Amino acid sequence: MRVLRPGVTATVVALRALLLVLPCAALALALPEVPHGTVLAGVVVSAAAWAWLPDHAVGVVPLAIVAGWWAAHGVVDWRVLVVGALLVAAHVAATVVSYGPATLPVDRRLARRWSARGLLALVPLPVTWLAVRGLDPGAAPSWLWLAAAATTVAMLLLTARLVRPGPA
Amino acid sequence: MTSWRPTPALVRSCLLALGGVSGGIVLGQEVLVVLAAPFVVLAAMGLAGRPRRSPRLVARLDHHRLHEGQGTTSRLEVDDLAGVEHVTRVAARAVHVATSPTYGTVGSLVDEGLPGVAFSPRRWGRRAVGAERVALTSAWAGWRFGPVPLPENSLVVLPQTAPYDTRAEVPQPDGLVGRHRSRRLGSGTELEGIRPFAPGDRLKRITWPVSLRTGELHVVTTRAEQDAGVWLVVDGLRDIGVSGGIDGHASTLDLTVRAAAALAEHHVRTGDRVGLLVVAANGARVPLGSGPRHLQRLQGTLARVRTEARSTPPERLDLGAGAGSVVHVLSPMLFTPLVTATAGLQRSGASVVVVDTLGDALTAPDGADRLALPSLAARMQRIERDDRLRRLAALGTPVVPWRGPGTLDTVLHQLARRAQVPKVRA
Repeated sequence: MRVLRPGVTATVVALRALLLVLPCAALALALPEVPHGTVLAGVVVSAAAWAWLPDHAVGVVPLAIVAGWWAAHGVVDWRVLVVGALLVAAHVAATVVSYGPATLPVDRRLARRWSARGLLALVPLPVTWLAVRGLDPGAAPSWLWLAAAATTVAMLLLTARLVRPGPA
Repeated sequence: MTSWRPTPALVRSCLLALGGVSGGIVLGQEVLVVLAAPFVVLAAMGLAGRPRRSPRLVARLDHHRLHEGQGTTSRLEVDDLAGVEHVTRVAARAVHVATSPTYGTVGSLVDEGLPGVAFSPRRWGRRAVGAERVALTSAWAGWRFGPVPLPENSLVVLPQTAPYDTRAEVPQPDGLVGRHRSRRLGSGTELEGIRPFAPGDRLKRITWPVSLRTGELHVVTTRAEQDAGVWLVVDGLRDIGVSGGIDGHASTLDLTVRAAAALAEHHVRTGDRVGLLVVAANGARVPLGSGPRHLQRLQGTLARVRTEARSTPPERLDLGAGAGSVVHVLSPMLFTPLVTATAGLQRSGASVVVVDTLGDALTAPDGADRLALPSLAARMQRIERDDRLRRLAALGTPVVPWRGPGTLDTVLHQLARRAQVPKVRA
């Protein structure tokens, strides 16, 4: 019996399965605490949609829900590092399979290149985690918050400028 | 208009990075900043990799004229690859065309070279291949150009020349030059005999050993060598059976066209003049000719044969063939008017051979219900056809099923012997 659609390789299916599994696993790290049913359903449904359409903007939904849930609970222990790694892994998997339709086999060199990029992207994760754990926000000077806000606004404006469609 | 647009991956990175950082600062949720930090890197690298110029894409086929089973490659040309990291090509499926990779989807990093898509037509005819969509992706999958639809290319697929050879000679060669042995004496190389010298004989024809032995001058006589006019009549009125290309079952039209191509190639290589008459919806007539260019013209005409349900068989075949011509009628002989027209050709003095190209098209598959309506209809049609062919054979037109090499040996030998029998004309 044929399990896969004609032309779809097992590697592509495995990567798409990761898109469903990784956000759910990032939420499952909270066990034994069980997230609200709405959060669970939202993550599962949106992750399934993302696995079906890896090259779609819906992919931001499960990642945002998971990150938001962990932020809302204020957990800053080791599990945040694992959650961050899982979310980056899901993003990288989606990117690798979004280079073409499901019948496009995964290029090993491309997969290796994205694995390296994923690891590179993870570098700031422990740095910010250590900073958040080691620094006291209350002791920071007030201008630091203003500078951070200005930097964020500048980043927003720069991003908006860069993603504006250019001349054909 | 196509331009570089941000990919969903870049949008995702940007939203998570900006949302996480701004949410962390505004709401005081430092975990958001931690989780958004990797996406800041991904977003920044993706944004920075935006290519500046829109490239122009062109795909070209290496060949535009192939035989069945041969292959060609579609190569992509991009005028500006600056900032491009990955190329993806998705070729549309075409009927009777095999693609490599199998599903026509191929992608590779630009530093490995642009990916090619190979096509191999499996059936003769005119094929449209190369319609595809191409997408270029920048570094860090930040920007995508396309998918750009590229137009298809026309590919003329010539019929595969089935291996064919015959040692039988054409019954009545009538040309001036060629490789067939003539019934007349002439300046060929085939020995006919030795006779005493007569005034007018060339001196170089004197055979000195015999002359010295007999004491009288003798000369060698040879047979002239002539070419023949060969007409191929191709029945393209109907296509019975399902064509699986060169790898699968052959329909009647497949057998007809491939047999005609094989005969044309054989006779042209032998030095004969070959003409072609296609009896089909888009009927065509190629006058007698010889040489490689003429062979290409014949094969091209055969590749354009197509059937149409409304096409009707002709009442007579007007070839303008002389009495010395040989006519091969390649047909499954399913139409009475075509059989009548063939008999008319025979009566006009041409040496006509019917090559039966029905194959097993009307044979019921194993396990089929013999009493089912389609099976009964096929059997009735076959019985009627066989009866027509028997009557045609009774008129003196040999009918041989196409079997590839040696198909025509026996009948051509018989026709040659018949041609040498003295005839009494009224």
